[in-house]
Amino acid sequence: MFKLDPQTIKQWKRFRSIKRGYWSALILVTLIVLSCFAELYVNNRALIVSYEGKWYFPTYAGKILPGSMFGLGDDYISETNYRDLKQKFKEEDKGNWVIMPLVPFGPEETDGDHIFESPSLETKHFLGTYDAGRDVLAALVYGFRTAMAFALILLVCTYIAGICIGCLMGYWGGAFDLLFQRLIEIWNTVPFLYVIMIVASVLSRSFWTLLGVMVFFGWTTMTWNMRTSTYKEKAREYVSAASALGASNTRIIGSHILPNTISVIVTFIPFSIAGGIAALTALDYLGFGLPPDQASWGNLLKIGTANLQSGWIVTSVTVSLIVVLLMVTYVGEAIREAFDPKKFSYYE
Amino acid sequence: MTSYFIRRFLLIVPTFLGVTILVFMLTRLVPGGPVERLLQEAALAGADGAASFTSDVVSSGGSTLSNDQLDQLKAYYGFDKPPLVSYFHWLGNVFTGDLGKSTRYGDPVWDIIRSRLPISIFYGITTLILTYGVCIPLGIVKAIKHRTVFDNVSSALVFLGYAIPSYVVAIALLTSFAFWIDWFPLSGFVSDNFDDLSLIGKGLDILYHAVLPLIAYVAGSFAFTTMLMKNSLMDNLAADYVRTAIAKGLNFRSAVFDHALRNSLIPIATSFGNNITLIITGSFLIEKIFNIDGFGLLGFESLVERDYPVVMGILVISSLLFMIGNILSDVCVAVVDPRVKFGAGGSNQ
Repeated sequence: MFKLDPQTIKQWKRFRSIKRGYWSALILVTLIVLSCFAELYVNNRALIVSYEGKWYFPTYAGKILPGSMFGLGDDYISETNYRDLKQKFKEEDKGNWVIMPLVPFGPEETDGDHIFESPSLETKHFLGTYDAGRDVLAALVYGFRTAMAFALILLVCTYIAGICIGCLMGYWGGAFDLLFQRLIEIWNTVPFLYVIMIVASVLSRSFWTLLGVMVFFGWTTMTWNMRTSTYKEKAREYVSAASALGASNTRIIGSHILPNTISVIVTFIPFSIAGGIAALTALDYLGFGLPPDQASWGNLLKIGTANLQSGWIVTSVTVSLIVVLLMVTYVGEAIREAFDPKKFSYYE
Repeated sequence: MTSYFIRRFLLIVPTFLGVTILVFMLTRLVPGGPVERLLQEAALAGADGAASFTSDVVSSGGSTLSNDQLDQLKAYYGFDKPPLVSYFHWLGNVFTGDLGKSTRYGDPVWDIIRSRLPISIFYGITTLILTYGVCIPLGIVKAIKHRTVFDNVSSALVFLGYAIPSYVVAIALLTSFAFWIDWFPLSGFVSDNFDDLSLIGKGLDILYHAVLPLIAYVAGSFAFTTMLMKNSLMDNLAADYVRTAIAKGLNFRSAVFDHALRNSLIPIATSFGNNITLIITGSFLIEKIFNIDGFGLLGFESLVERDYPVVMGILVISSLLFMIGNILSDVCVAVVDPRVKFGAGGSNQ
């Protein structure tokens, strides 16, 4: 059975006692979970359509429901515009109805009648629109999801690579260590964003290619940290004891060294997430990130700064960025304090 | 010690080769280089039915260049040889001080880079002075006044600078203080009428344009240096030698400034050398946001335009500076901390 050891419980209690970080963590987790179901409250597809006694669920229909299905004419073969449908049903008053999500706009949906419009409750563009009439709030919600997913997957990939390589570097030492030291030095000397921009300028830009490029150039930090802490652990008595007892290398690394370096890994996680979000947003902002028609914070930032007179764009995206990054950093500080309770004693 | 630094300098060579090979190959492997760009332009001109093309151009079928001319172009940009051969050709030129010619402007790369340097150096040095001028005193005061109102309030500010990347700070500043409240100019290094201004006017004009970018630059390193200073001073204040000094009757003030301060500057020195990169290369994000015509913006523009000779030239300079900066940091540590003996224990990291 999986059982928490007293040390972990202590750290968790200490983390909970740091209110700022604890509440930020709760809010962030809630936001991430909520953003997984963004389709339910920010979408141009209706939640439920009741037409002639039958119920339809366009969001999770798995296919596009054409307008002809809802009596909008047989030649209406493209996807239904549910906002218009709702209006029509209301006017007809035949007992048909449509329930729209809270924000009835999709992230990539363009709305030609409302280009660069300031926030208004009437048009349901609660935070206004940007370039081709895309909804700012929808872009913020879906952009948050993209950025978080990007940062988290990037974190997992770079940490797996970093932990494997770093552990072996520290454990084996010698030629393997030297080889990777030189490699890491080269990797660190290359200007990070610069090279990513070279690569991103030619690859077809998508979420996954960007992620691949970022992993390729971002594995060194964690590797270096793991190398250092493995070195430290390897020199301690318990490792010699284990190897004297005849434990294999895999066992020493897996069940002795790794658990003791966990605190190093965990304390870096929030800062890596903040870094991932900031890097993706910067790339998008510079025009080397996700395609411009995709809703992302960087693209919003780019359009916002190019159209400063439409202040609601820049304001909403910078405020969101600042709030999210602040919360992530609060969590990071709290974790660091929980794992390293070094209290400063000082004179006077 | 000397042998350690000689070894460090020798290690620059393989790293430099590795970095330049990596980026050179990247620029080669990717399509859309200068030749393709010219072809595209020629095709566009041909589609417009431009008759101004010389007789060398085969204008049939959407108009491309003749094969001869294509080969000439490729030879001109060194794309006719295999990547490794042209890499060594390029490297040989670099060692003679020739970084090649920009494919965009036709000017020597070094001249283009040199023309952008003064702006970047101005921002770099001012940022450096501001960062250390503000962070070290602030760190000292925060350490002495630990857990007072002043400490907590300034911590909040420091934390803000720590959590938010400097480009977001830059955009927030630009929007609030240059667009909504019209205090500072939106972009540029100097005003359009710069040449007509008096000497004092010129200085004020540069400062006027520099306020917002400088805040953004300083915000980037502000938090790190301040907290480093505060924590290391607090470590030292808790050390036995300070306690001894006080016990012997020294007042607190001289205990801090004569004893603890010197030792707590050591961690600051470990990152001092890296400022050399900041001085020259700056940040292309901030330069792009404020449209400052410096080194960073040059790098960004040459990437967008696929002007690879300039890209490589910038890489050469920035990577060399980065490595020299690292060694400089070590020298700084050796100067302020006589206990440090590099290379003696075998581990140097």
